[in-house]
Amino acid sequence: MSPVPAAPQATRPRPRTPEATPPPRPPRRFRPADLWPYLLIAPTLAGTAYLLVYPLVRSVVISFQHFRLGELIRGGAAFVGFDNYAEVLGGAEFWTVVRRTLVWTAVNVVLITLISTLVALMLPRLGRWMRLAVMSGMVLTWATPVLAATTIFQWLFQSRLGVVNWLLVTLGFDSFKDYTWFADGNSTFAILVALVVWQSVPFAALTLYAGLTTVPTELYESARIDGASGWQIFRSVTFPILRPLFGLIVSLEVIWVFKCFAQIWAISKGGPDEATTTLPVYAFQIAQSLHKYDLGSAVSTLTVLILIAVLITHLRRMLKHEGEQA
Amino acid sequence: MRPRRVLLNLAALGVLAVSVFPVYWMVLTAFKPTTDILSETPTFWPAHPTLEHFTTAVGTPGFWTFWGNSLSITVGAVLLALVVALLAAFAVARMRWRGRRAFILMVFIAQMAPWEALLVSMYIVARDTGMLDKLSMLTLIYFMTTLPFTIVTLRGFIAAIPPELEEAAQMDGCSRTAAFRRVVLPLLAPGLMSTSLFGFITAWNEFAFANALIIKNQADRTLPVWLSSFSNVFGTDWGATMAAATLFMLPVLAIFLVLQRRVTSGLIAGAVKG
Amino acid sequence: MRYRLLATAAALSVGLTACSSSSETAAAPDGTASASATKLTVWVMRDSFSDPVLDRFKTSFQQSHAGVTLDIQIQEWDGIGQKVISALASKDAPDVIEVGNTQVAEYSASGGVKDLTDKVADLGGADWIPGLAEPGKIDGRQYGIPWYAANRVVIYNKDLFAKAGVTTPPKTRDEWLDVTAKLNKGGDQGIYLPGQNWYTLAGFIWDEGGDLAVKEGDQWKGALDTPQALAGAEFYKKLQALGEGPKDSDEAKPLQATVFAKGDVAQLISAPGGAVAIEKANPELKGKLGFFPIPGKTADKPGAVFTGGSDLVIPEASLHQEEAYEVVKALAGEEFQLDMAKEMSYVPNKVSFAGVLSGNEATAAMAAGAANGHATPNSPNWAAVEAKNLIKEYMTKFLTGDDATADAGAASEAITAILNTKS
Repeated sequence: MSPVPAAPQATRPRPRTPEATPPPRPPRRFRPADLWPYLLIAPTLAGTAYLLVYPLVRSVVISFQHFRLGELIRGGAAFVGFDNYAEVLGGAEFWTVVRRTLVWTAVNVVLITLISTLVALMLPRLGRWMRLAVMSGMVLTWATPVLAATTIFQWLFQSRLGVVNWLLVTLGFDSFKDYTWFADGNSTFAILVALVVWQSVPFAALTLYAGLTTVPTELYESARIDGASGWQIFRSVTFPILRPLFGLIVSLEVIWVFKCFAQIWAISKGGPDEATTTLPVYAFQIAQSLHKYDLGSAVSTLTVLILIAVLITHLRRMLKHEGEQA
Repeated sequence: MRPRRVLLNLAALGVLAVSVFPVYWMVLTAFKPTTDILSETPTFWPAHPTLEHFTTAVGTPGFWTFWGNSLSITVGAVLLALVVALLAAFAVARMRWRGRRAFILMVFIAQMAPWEALLVSMYIVARDTGMLDKLSMLTLIYFMTTLPFTIVTLRGFIAAIPPELEEAAQMDGCSRTAAFRRVVLPLLAPGLMSTSLFGFITAWNEFAFANALIIKNQADRTLPVWLSSFSNVFGTDWGATMAAATLFMLPVLAIFLVLQRRVTSGLIAGAVKG
Repeated sequence: MRYRLLATAAALSVGLTACSSSSETAAAPDGTASASATKLTVWVMRDSFSDPVLDRFKTSFQQSHAGVTLDIQIQEWDGIGQKVISALASKDAPDVIEVGNTQVAEYSASGGVKDLTDKVADLGGADWIPGLAEPGKIDGRQYGIPWYAANRVVIYNKDLFAKAGVTTPPKTRDEWLDVTAKLNKGGDQGIYLPGQNWYTLAGFIWDEGGDLAVKEGDQWKGALDTPQALAGAEFYKKLQALGEGPKDSDEAKPLQATVFAKGDVAQLISAPGGAVAIEKANPELKGKLGFFPIPGKTADKPGAVFTGGSDLVIPEASLHQEEAYEVVKALAGEEFQLDMAKEMSYVPNKVSFAGVLSGNEATAAMAAGAANGHATPNSPNWAAVEAKNLIKEYMTKFLTGDDATADAGAASEAITAILNTKS
């Protein structure tokens, strides 16, 4: 969920400007103007310190303590070293959840990228009105708040009165009469994937489409004259130009899908049979349902570390990009 | 060439149907009388539209209070994030200073923060700083959850505006801030709008913190918390639940309609041309 | 520009702090006769009591305690554990909280609940019914004050029974299945039994001589996979199929009273107080509701039931401890107890109040069932088993799947693991 036109501008290769690589100046002494950037980022730093770093540090500290219900209420938690991490990492459950989270992320991100690429490639080939209609439809999807969307999907897949079961039975799949989707782990997982993909495609598709419109048409024409097929054009012209944009979208989707929580919690609370327990849900369960705040914090810390590991190449590239600019 | 056209348009219709149907179904259910909702064969058109479900939803105690709470903290968080992010984005996009890369790294990592996992420690932080049971704490948290993304996006927008424009203005005798205001800010308008859209949706939606940090002051509950308790109480009443979801979606849709047109107008213009 | 931006930011933050100021006044020193109004917050669970009962209490309490206003807040069962704990750990908690008798032990052990041992005599604690007093007591100290108890009965729609030609309520399980099958005709449901009503399942399991979990030495063991427990589940499945209760949901979602209120459901398993909610949702059903104890395996013994109920606690973090105690005393006292017992058909918290129930069809059914009352496994970790929805998920799998033994085995293992963790 992010604005359409921002991303392409953010990633489009920017011309080197005098501002970006200023001419060498003679070394100078401290000037008050040097304080400017620090003043400008001060509110961000203050907010981050209070609302992110402080809770994060607190959470990490808790993960090294024995911190359960009594400690939350009375205080006075004792440090236990790496005991909580040992307990989490030593259990089979954690690794099952990690594997499930990676599968969850991969399935969603692949589907989102694939579908949104196809939609983005389809859009410019449509007539003007059809294109507007499809884009408006996607904007509508995009504007649907998560909580409303989960409520809608629960209603669509409701066992007795849900329209999906009615449709399937009408199409001749009689086994779906009163089928309880949310009783089975795999079908619940599938519905959650459908929900997340449904909600995520508009952003990715519209962003990619906006990127596509920046590709000069001459490139396509010359490729076509050379006799390239549609797939070859995509591989040798479209994709290389849009590669940074794909990188950005995939990274953002990985982040969003990996830490997706509200949809899962609202629909299945991680069940049935833990089939939809991903890492954020797992951490929440341990902390909030079982009151093992210490283990929950350990899982949270590990979650962040895993996410950073998954995205390390992305982070590196971003930073390198910054390095070239600065 | 012909069959390809047909195929393409069929695919487009498919995408359109999948995008629109769930939302259409929600609105439709909200307007259907209960007997139609409970019928074994669904109807796909409101034959007998009724407002009874909306009356039920709006009639629940405190609805307007929760509505107001959600609106005020959402707008507060979005404005705060815009102002703070604009300052930081400008510093990152246009100035060179020691620690700039570290700052950017911090913003990227902040974007990955698994917020729900910080619920307990956020509770403790709020309690220890006397911010429990306060709407202002929710405003601050929503501000923080949208801030990193807003900085990254606005920075992209600022960087895309050629600095020469500003320099030209400065040569015409404007101060740096005046140049920013007269030249950069108008060009930034679409960026500001689209990031506020993102912030608005995120804050409007948030449930976990609103549920955990508002404890005793029940009049300070927000719309998502109301929606979730609504579906507990009216779980069987799909009409009322869908009406509630529709009412919940309405402001987001309104903001989208107001802002999105201006945001995408350039996009669509480009699309028509290309 | 800079100044304007900063000014905007400053104005924003000022506005934010301003709108969060609390309107509460400080606690009055002597509790009752303070000039400035003290607002007390009381948490009561959804559908514990009807609005008139609470309104009457509020009016009467405020009249007899000048300077105190009551804010009675209704809490949802969904996610209540987290909510109560957030309250206990805060610095300004609600003053009185209703907690279920299966959960009071956990909260009491946490240190966030006021020890009321020295008030037991003042409250007449010698006369309390043990099913509520015991769970509220840890290491000989009384934290939870007994409030009310109830166990489940069958509520039935007299019109539908007459329509189907059923004249006497069933006395045994076999009769029950026959009658329910007869009622489950046309557009009517024989019984609305959601798939995850685990208290009811527990009753069927106890009837067979099984249990949810058993303690062997100092180790707990989940017991859903014993032959007795599987037999109980089998009966649940047969009964559940005689209606359209959702297999993947419990009695709170959707609220079963509102389903029953539509008038096409013949039977419902609920505490007798459920009738109040049904009549509120559909006043046309007034006078048409009947009650009978859950049938047992044989006619001489009613079905086993879970003895449910609630205690009252005062959080240590309440800023108005003295006044909060006055509220607890009034809620546990004769006036309120008799009033609510009559209106809600609950069992009052003292044996001596029980006379009020005689002659009431609903409570007669409940009292008959109460003779065979049971409790959930007595472990502080039991709340975690409930919170993780282990039994509920097992039930859905049992009802929709085809390998009951394997599902029961997996659920039992999970229960074993949770009950044996150290806190």
